[in-house]
Order: sequence, then C-alpha cells, then structure tokens
Amino acid sequence: MAELDDIIHQPLRLKIMAALNALHPAQGLDFPRLKKLTGATDGNLGAHIETLAKAGYVSVEKAFVGKKPQTTVTATATGRGAFARHVATLREIIATAEGK
Amino acid sequence: MINSQEASAVLMEIESLSRLVRQSVFYRHASTMLILWGVATFIGYLLSFFAPAAAPVIWAVVIVAGVICAIIIGALNKKREGVSTFDARATAAFIAFVAFGCLWSIVFGNMAPRQIGAFWTTYFMLPYVMTGFWFGRVFVVIGMSVIALTLLGYFLAGPWFTLWMAVVNGGGLLLGGLWMRRS
Repeated sequence: MAELDDIIHQPLRLKIMAALNALHPAQGLDFPRLKKLTGATDGNLGAHIETLAKAGYVSVEKAFVGKKPQTTVTATATGRGAFARHVATLREIIATAEGK
Repeated sequence: MINSQEASAVLMEIESLSRLVRQSVFYRHASTMLILWGVATFIGYLLSFFAPAAAPVIWAVVIVAGVICAIIIGALNKKREGVSTFDARATAAFIAFVAFGCLWSIVFGNMAPRQIGAFWTTYFMLPYVMTGFWFGRVFVVIGMSVIALTLLGYFLAGPWFTLWMAVVNGGGLLLGGLWMRRS
C-alpha cells in the first residue's frame, strides 16, 4: 500500500489542498477566502501555504488590486497529482479494512 | 499509518470542503449575474414608469443589452479563470426561456401591462427558486422574496406598480447579488 503524503496529511494543509483541488486548474483562491473556508488564523495559514509552496504543491501569486495587496493561491499540477494519490491511499486503507 | 475510521473521517472532510468551495465559486459567479440583471431591470422599470408607451422597446433593449453584458462577463471569466459562466448553452437556454415567456404572455396570453410586469418577474424568479434546491438556500430566499413582493405590489401598489417593481425587482436582485457575494 502506498504511504500517505506527510505534507498533505497535516489537517490544515489537507483543508487547503482539498479547497484548491475543488477548483478548475486555472482557478485559485485569494487569502481571505481561503482563511474563511479553512477557519485558520492569518499566521497559521501563511506558514502552511509556505510549506505547500516549498513542496511545489501550490503557487502563490501576489498582486495589487487597486491599492490593496492580494495573494492568490493555486494548486499546481504536482500538487493535484499528490492530492489525488493521497485520496487514493485513504480509499485503499478503507477498502483494505473492509476486506475488498 | 491511520486506521480506516480515521481515513473515512478525512475523506468526509475533503468532500464537505469541496462542496463548500464549489458552492462559494458558484455564488460568486451567480452574484455578478444577479447584480447585472438587477441594474438592467431597475433601469427598465424606471424608464417604463416615465415612458409607458415605449415599454416594449425599452425592455427589448434592456434584455439584449443584458444578454450582451452577460456574454462579455462569461468570456472574461473564461479568460481569467478557465470557467465560462455564460456560454453558448446558457445563451441558448436563456433565449428558449424568453421565447416561451413571450409566447404565453404576448402571443396567447393577451395580458395587460401590469400583468406582464408581474408575470415576467415571477417567471424569472422561478428558476432561481428551483436552482436553490440544488445550489443553496440563498437562491430560494432571493427568488421567494422577489415573488412575494411582486405579488404584494401587483395587488396593493396601485399606479406606482412600475416604480415599485424597479425597487423590488431591480433593487432586490442587486441586494441579493451583494448578499450572495458575502455568503
């Protein structure tokens, strides 16, 4: 059986990846929306996004909308692949326990 | 390694969050359309109030302009996010919907202007209510509120009905769109 992805398995990072994977590959989520969806604090969310970005699982784009800075986080192809494998492993664990 | 119960719980959390994200994206796109049609119908009713004789022309222009704006917004969303919110199928569905309404309100229905105003608003709100059964209560609340206020105005607003509709229909959609954006 394949191993679970340690980077994704952390609860908040799992939420971030789950949220980003529900979108079209070209779509991302801005920081406030991601914060609302995951229920995380600014600092915690920022730190975990950085971990995911270092692993190449998400890309972070910073831009100015008017005078306001806006950070958009998007799942990369690598991240989507890793997330799909992680979900497949979770399903495998359940199937094995059920004796399928 | 985790056990199967923990794995099930994680998968359920992923599914729940995915549903929330899809709904959030749907609300965001739908809110833009609500705001667009809110402004369009507000203008349509306001102009119809001051120039009732020109109402058919006013509404033809409002609907065509609204559809063109919706197509442009859809194309911009497609370019920016890879998702079209008003594509060829949506345009065809909208045309079929309007054609059906015209057939029964103008060709067969022989309705008075006041009845036409009430018919089109309640008719347009029906898909909102039905959409809400699948995509979220916000649509149901907006649709039912506008229908109820339309009927209230139809029976009680007297000569101010068209102006009432500008506020209730146009303003209702506009406020609904802004509320949806925050949901």
